Amino acid sequence: MVLEYAWLIPVIPFAAFVLIGLLPRRTLFWEDGGGYAIGGAAGALIISILVIWDVFQGHTLTTTAPTFEWLVIGNFSITFGIWIDQLTAIMLLVVSVVGTLVVVYSGAYMHEDAERRRRYYAEIMLFISVMYGLVIANNYLMMFVFWELVGLCSYLLIGFWYERPAAASAAKRAFIVTRVGDIMFMAGIIILFKYVGSFDFGTLFADGGAATKAAFAESPGLLTLATAFIFGGAIGKSAQFPLHEWLPDAMEGPTTVSALIHAATMVKAGVYLVARSYPLLVQTPDSLLFVGIIGGITALLAATVALAATDIKRVLAYSTISQLGYMILGLGAGGFIFINSGSAIGYTASIFHLMNHAFFKALLFLCAGSVIHAVGTNDMRLMGGLGRKMPITSITMLVGALAISGIPPLSGFWSKDEVLSSVYSAGSFHGMFFILWAMGVATAFLTAFYMFRMWFMTFTGGPRSEYHAHESPKLMTVPLMILTGLALTSGAALFIGEGFRAFLQRAIGVTGETESLSGIALDTLTSPFTYLVLGLVVVGMLIAYRVYYMAGFNRAVFATGVPGTFQRALENRWYISKFYDDFAYKVVYGFAKLSDLFDRYVIDGIVNLVAYLGANAGAVIRKAQSGNVQRYAGIIILGIVVLMFFVLFVLPWGGW
Amino acid sequence: MIPLEYWLVLSSLMLAIGAYGVLSRKNAIVVLMSIEIMLNAANINFVAFSTYYPIVHTGINANGQVFALFSIAIAAAEVAVGLAILLTVYRRYRTIEVDKINILRW
Repeated sequence: MVLEYAWLIPVIPFAAFVLIGLLPRRTLFWEDGGGYAIGGAAGALIISILVIWDVFQGHTLTTTAPTFEWLVIGNFSITFGIWIDQLTAIMLLVVSVVGTLVVVYSGAYMHEDAERRRRYYAEIMLFISVMYGLVIANNYLMMFVFWELVGLCSYLLIGFWYERPAAASAAKRAFIVTRVGDIMFMAGIIILFKYVGSFDFGTLFADGGAATKAAFAESPGLLTLATAFIFGGAIGKSAQFPLHEWLPDAMEGPTTVSALIHAATMVKAGVYLVARSYPLLVQTPDSLLFVGIIGGITALLAATVALAATDIKRVLAYSTISQLGYMILGLGAGGFIFINSGSAIGYTASIFHLMNHAFFKALLFLCAGSVIHAVGTNDMRLMGGLGRKMPITSITMLVGALAISGIPPLSGFWSKDEVLSSVYSAGSFHGMFFILWAMGVATAFLTAFYMFRMWFMTFTGGPRSEYHAHESPKLMTVPLMILTGLALTSGAALFIGEGFRAFLQRAIGVTGETESLSGIALDTLTSPFTYLVLGLVVVGMLIAYRVYYMAGFNRAVFATGVPGTFQRALENRWYISKFYDDFAYKVVYGFAKLSDLFDRYVIDGIVNLVAYLGANAGAVIRKAQSGNVQRYAGIIILGIVVLMFFVLFVLPWGGW
Repeated sequence: MIPLEYWLVLSSLMLAIGAYGVLSRKNAIVVLMSIEIMLNAANINFVAFSTYYPIVHTGINANGQVFALFSIAIAAAEVAVGLAILLTVYRRYRTIEVDKINILRW
């Protein structure tokens, strides 16, 4: 059994991190540590593949996994261990494949950063290592530790070019905004621990979560609160509305980092958390509805903002937020299906989409990186006509755009259809999901439009600024081609072997028969909704073709009247970012100013008053020292009289 | 036998008169004399209570009388020192009016 050695998966990249960080510079060889980084990523990839293969054979390692005591408090101990099930296997697949390809790609992409490549490779190894740690954790506390480390690494890498003010502030923003979610996650864990007395998944998820519900029998509302808080962690990490604004800003980091954050690590951690917490979430339908609504809103909102973005990476960033919204929406809807019919289709659909999205989004980002590498700018308005100069990049990016738009038979088509159809069927258990389904369909239409807007603006037409573009080196194009292959084929996972649904549903304890594989295909291909979505996607692409490819369309009509208002709102990201800035500047800064005044005048005032009294009271009191003996004597006699009066009359009156 | 209260009234009056003298007179010699009157008021109290001891308790107790003698001796020494101080004060300031001598002040 190789599963018991799964703990090596995070250890190998961590060892690479330590080596790159500590070895003398001349022993780092190629690309200042790039060799060690590729070695670390590849080592983890090999063990991951062995582990995944074992899981495909039907083995899992959950409650019986080896653990070690991390912390002993009296007779209570916190143990760390590993938890390998089907969900973990999918996450390992995503992180290892995308992580390794990104590191290989970095070998060429980061070449110009010279001395700083060492820091880059060290940080990226740590990032991959802690992400592995997060997905194999067997309790919430361990998960939280790695969760925070993922946040730290994203801070370091987003702010990699820290001398640029935009990068420094984007890094801080990512760190602070996700922190809001992290606090909620921690609060959720604390509530669970208070009632159940354990962090372990094995204890919390016993009997499919029913044991935890029983522990909350006296106050079921708190379980809802706990699960909602845990989802709050995912809102922060997975950039869901209203904490989504950090992700587009995170584009200030190197493009490889964006690819890693968007496809494999960071934002996928939030979705993974929700999927991992499924046994608890299905005990609380209110939280699930909340999950679904947040997902639906995020999907649509982010897709609209992507329509007006001009930075190629921001388009991709908003599309990531939008696709994450799909996954979250699918998980919320899947929970209702699971509660009411015991089927895991929504759950498997979401994770399927997570996997497919990882491949095509990594592809899109690395293509964008290739373009930026060639052109030297992020602004699509300055690009154009790159298709002839960069044939490999343009074709691979076209595949990515087709995949994310959901054109059959590419991966995005299958998973998006799975998600939307499960959301639709959840509608029969809660009417809200019909609305969310409609939002999802609208998002699919918008997605097709903005992805092709981006593609046409970048690769077709004529150059709109001076540059000498050239195709990127092999080290960059080979990972692109591998990812293209995955984006083309990963949708087939739905039909390989026992099928994705039957494989993954065991992760949440569903063992019943699933629909036959041909039945799934038939359902997808005969459902009218599939063709509705497909039709909208094609219309979206055609509109993009008309507006951004064919000559003679005057785009100025968007800038005036009602569409103009709309466009300005989109360009300002629905003013959400501005709202946060204003909130921070006016409310928080105002409050800080108020506190400053309070400190300065009230607190300091008291201190200064005491000091003033000490310094100046003497000037008054010393006047008593008149030097006149008779006055002293008079005071003494007066004192004696008062004392006698006190002893003779006041004390007896008081009962002494 | 003269009742104890009479002696106490007498000594209270002497103490009050002495205190008045200390507080109101300007001449340091008179102040010194007023202090002597206050001391003697205390002596009268000692002797009076000593005399009345056998009436309240059995036996004789001369502690009060001894104290009175002791305080007379101290008063004599005090007057000697006090007058000596006054003499040097007079030599230095050419006055012995107590409200004029106030150099020990802020």
